[in-house]
Amino acid sequence: MNKKKDIIKARDKQRGDLKIDNVNVHYGDNHAIKNVSMHIKEKSVTAFIGPSGCGKSTLLRCLNRMNDEIVGCKTNGTIYWGDTNILSREVDPVPLRRKVGMVFQKPNPFPKSIYDNIAYAPRIHGIRGKKQLDDIIKKSLKDAALFEEVGDRLGDSAMGLSGGQQQRLCIARTLAIEPEVILMDEPCSALDPIATAKIEDLINELKKKYTVIIVTHNMQQAARVSDYTGFFYLGKLIEYGKTTQIFESPKEELTENYMTGRFG
Amino acid sequence: MVEKFHDELKILKKDVIKMGNLAKEMLQKSVEALKDLDNEKAEWILSKKGIIADMDDDIEERTLRLITLYQPMASDMRQIACILKMITYLNRIGRYGKDIAKLVEEWGDKRHVKKLVSIPYMSVIVCNMIDDSINSFETNNISKFKDFSDRDDEVDELRYSIFRECLSYMMEDPKVITRCTNYIMVARYLERCADHACKMAEKIYYMVTGERVEIDHSEDTAKSSLKNGL
Repeated sequence: MNKKKDIIKARDKQRGDLKIDNVNVHYGDNHAIKNVSMHIKEKSVTAFIGPSGCGKSTLLRCLNRMNDEIVGCKTNGTIYWGDTNILSREVDPVPLRRKVGMVFQKPNPFPKSIYDNIAYAPRIHGIRGKKQLDDIIKKSLKDAALFEEVGDRLGDSAMGLSGGQQQRLCIARTLAIEPEVILMDEPCSALDPIATAKIEDLINELKKKYTVIIVTHNMQQAARVSDYTGFFYLGKLIEYGKTTQIFESPKEELTENYMTGRFG
Repeated sequence: MVEKFHDELKILKKDVIKMGNLAKEMLQKSVEALKDLDNEKAEWILSKKGIIADMDDDIEERTLRLITLYQPMASDMRQIACILKMITYLNRIGRYGKDIAKLVEEWGDKRHVKKLVSIPYMSVIVCNMIDDSINSFETNNISKFKDFSDRDDEVDELRYSIFRECLSYMMEDPKVITRCTNYIMVARYLERCADHACKMAEKIYYMVTGERVEIDHSEDTAKSSLKNGL
């Protein structure tokens, strides 16, 4: 029996903002995240930017406990989501990840049909009815702005889709289990400009229903899609604020220097 | 790549300063030409009209190119935005100089109604404001903008007093109407140039601090007034 706390038990309740407080992450001796505190607003897009190795992906992975899988990785501090500290040992990461979906840098569809890719997780969660699955798949594909393109060939292999379509399929797959938060780790870096534009439009749509957190190296992209931006450097959160302010007139010199390409 | 961008931005900035100095010189010399009714000087100004327009186009084109290629952010972006606005104001100032020079050229044999005092004095204030704007742009030092609002007020008052003065001359003697109308126009041009200097100062203030202010707060906008600010 699993004694761990199932975050989904507090079902149907919107958990709202994510309050990250004094989070530290160590990979062995490497202190990757240093005392980061930030408040991520629900139903908005928050971008994490900063040079490679600054800890932005590590922090992103804290939000669905993906770091648990890494040997030697130690996380402390608290991340309150509603009244639950998701970093607490009592929280079962598996249902947490159902509520906090993730999209990766490279699209990684399963070598299955488009339909089965999206139906995979709902099936695991016990949804068997054909009609119910059909509805979930249609809705997910529509929300991921992919239905128009693949709606008539759901039985085709997902591997035959273009890179941009594969990435949107991965987003649709995430949406199928109705998450509240979507984490995106460089979702466009393997895509061409047209596919990138589609994903960006999609992010704009997604924020109406979901909290989106995106890690990107492309500062223009962060400026375009996000409402709030956090700039990280050497594991520290240097500056965090409204995207317009960060990109127009950053308060910290480090942010300024990074934006204007003086390092990084 | 980034170094190349900053090098180009530096050159661009130098060219804006060059353009600014030319615009100011055109305005300054045009008032001198008017004061002395010096046709030669007026001609020199008219010969610069095309040059300043070309500078405007050239700098604009290069600035837009930098935006396209590098998509600058933060202070780089603010500098680019400032340059784009400044060249328009500078071009306008240069053109007012040209307009005054044109009046000198068409003046004919008539002498001044009386010795010009207020207009040259006004020109000194305005040219100093333009100078201060250009210097602040060059050095990123915004301390000179403190009294811009007062200086602008003084220019406005001078314009009004020139207008009143000309009005009374015209009532006394209709033969001076053409000349006096010209004085009123010149005063108006100079007053506009002071406004342009203030607008440049606002853009430079934004470039340096990232904050939008209004030098003359009479327009009732959402921006904070520099008068109470600095």
